[in-house]
This record gives sequence, C-alpha cells and structure tokens, in this order.
Amino acid sequence: MHKIISIFIFFIMFFVSLNAEEKKKYGEEITLTEKTSISDILDNPESFVGQKVLVEGTIVNVCKKRGCWIELASEKEFETIRVKVEDGAIVFPLEAKGKKALVEGEVYSFEYEAEAECSGTCGDGKKNEGSCEHGKKQVRTIYQIKGLGAEI
Amino acid sequence: MKWRRTIRVIHRDTGYIAAVLTIIYAISGIAVNHINDWNPNYIVEKSVISIAPLSDSVFTKQQLLEHVISQLGIIDRVKDSFRPSPESIDIFLKGKTISANLKTGKVEIEEISNRHLFKESNFLHLNTPKKLWTWIADIFAASLILLAITGLFMNKGKQGFKGRGKWFALLGLAIPLIFLIIYY
Repeated sequence: MHKIISIFIFFIMFFVSLNAEEKKKYGEEITLTEKTSISDILDNPESFVGQKVLVEGTIVNVCKKRGCWIELASEKEFETIRVKVEDGAIVFPLEAKGKKALVEGEVYSFEYEAEAECSGTCGDGKKNEGSCEHGKKQVRTIYQIKGLGAEI
Repeated sequence: MKWRRTIRVIHRDTGYIAAVLTIIYAISGIAVNHINDWNPNYIVEKSVISIAPLSDSVFTKQQLLEHVISQLGIIDRVKDSFRPSPESIDIFLKGKTISANLKTGKVEIEEISNRHLFKESNFLHLNTPKKLWTWIADIFAASLILLAITGLFMNKGKQGFKGRGKWFALLGLAIPLIFLIIYY
C-alpha cells in the first residue's frame, strides 16, 4: 500500500514539476518571430485588418468570468488593444493581470452603434460639442486581435 | 442470469473509478451553470478609499506611481503599472490591482483570490488543460454511458427495467424532451 502511495505522489510531483515552467503557453504555438508594436496597429488599424501579428504588452485587464479576453497596454500611454479568444479555446487566468504577454493573432474589426458621446468631444474624438449630433447613434469601428496563441 | 451478474460487476467497478470525477464534474457543472450570478473561479473583492489628490495633471507615470505608493504605504513588489488616462493609474501587485484617480483622489482596490475546489474542478470540467486530459475526459464520458446502460439492467423483476424501471426511464426521457419542445 505504501508503495502505491509513494508511486502516486511521485507521479503528481513529476507532473507538477513539468508544469512549473517560466512562461505559460495558451492555445496554438506561436509561429511569428517579428513583433508588431501595438501602437503601430492602433495608429493605422485598417491596414492591419486580416493580418496575423505578434504583439507584446502588459496585461491590464482580463475577462473576469470566462477569461475570454485580455487587454494589452500599448507602448504609448493611454492606449490598449483587446485580444479576444474563442470561448473555451483559451482561458486567460485573472492573475495574469500585470504580467507581460506575447500574443499571436489576427487583427479584425467590427462595427457597433453607440450613443454619441458629447462631453467635450464626440465619439470620433475630432468634432467638438457644437457639431456633435446629441442623442443620435454613432457607428463606431472597433479593432481587436483574435488571439490564437499566447505566452504569459 | 450470468449476464446480469457481469453487468453488476461492470457497473460497480466502473462506478468506483468514475465516482470522484463525477463529483468533480457535478460541482463544476453547478458552478458554471450560474456564471451570470457569480464568479466560479475567483473571489473578487473591491474596496474604495481616498488619498490626497494631485492638482497638477502633467505628472509622469513614475510620479503618479510614487505618489500612490507613498500615500498607500505599499511595500509589496509592483509587477507593472499602466496609465489609462492622464489623471489615473493602475498599479498591479500580486493578486491585487490598485486603480487610482489622482484628480479625485479615489482609489479602487481589487483583490482576487482563487475559489479553491471550484477553480480546479472547472479547470478539468471545461477541459482547459486539453492534450491528454481530452482523452481522460472522453474515457470518463464513455464510462458514464456504460454506467447508464448497465444501471438500466442491473435489477430484474418488479424493481427492474421491465417493472417500475421503465416508468422512471421514461420520466428521464421526458424531462429533456419537454424542455426541447418548449425552448428549442
């Protein structure tokens, strides 16, 4: 009986040691070697749509319930980009917040309707309050990365 | 009959092996069923406190960071920080995020801790590890099918499938059917 317990403990320790790697991998293997800066993507997002990119940044937010997205900080202040993954395909842990992540994925865009924000500037950030169409819906384009693989 | 004895043995021994996993999957099943009402993996605690606000908005990220650290007396290692807007800063510590608005002095502290037992159960139930676990989960699923089928024919007579068993089995069939008719 003691032998069986010892073997069982040995196997558990063995698998724990296998798991104790520095960087944890999520999803598919990262294949790209050249990194794209997040600020470059956000400066000209349309040109990156459909492209596979490798980005690196600090995780500043994580989907609390399902771990299905993370937000990465850009090199520029006040900028972030969201990495969305297929539900269940990758589950980002909440404790990843504040850690550096290397993410490979595809840039994509989608549009959604939102109330015009008229406190100083409108949704597009250009028009002033005077030219803003108060109360009207605005179509906004959101750019995100569809995460395929990550190392945190 | 000999075949019924064999079925009993299969049911009993498969049941022993599958017992722990069944409990794990059931606990996780209940937990993730109510994902909109609670967080099945983490306990997230939030608190709000105030610090002295800063009147000048041209501070650097480092100055904002140092101000918050000194005001809160943080001694933990700072993993990283992020400035979401000119007047605010997020500071990441182990298991804790401090979001400070230096204009108002409002500081939100979010502490996360693992919801043990549930988190580990969900990890396995939702097949987060993938790889070899996918096979284990498949074998477990097959063993549940085996348990269900052998369970139907374990007893004979009045207590067996041909007796009261068929009515219970019909009830078991009716439950998903009714919900499919209503909601599907």
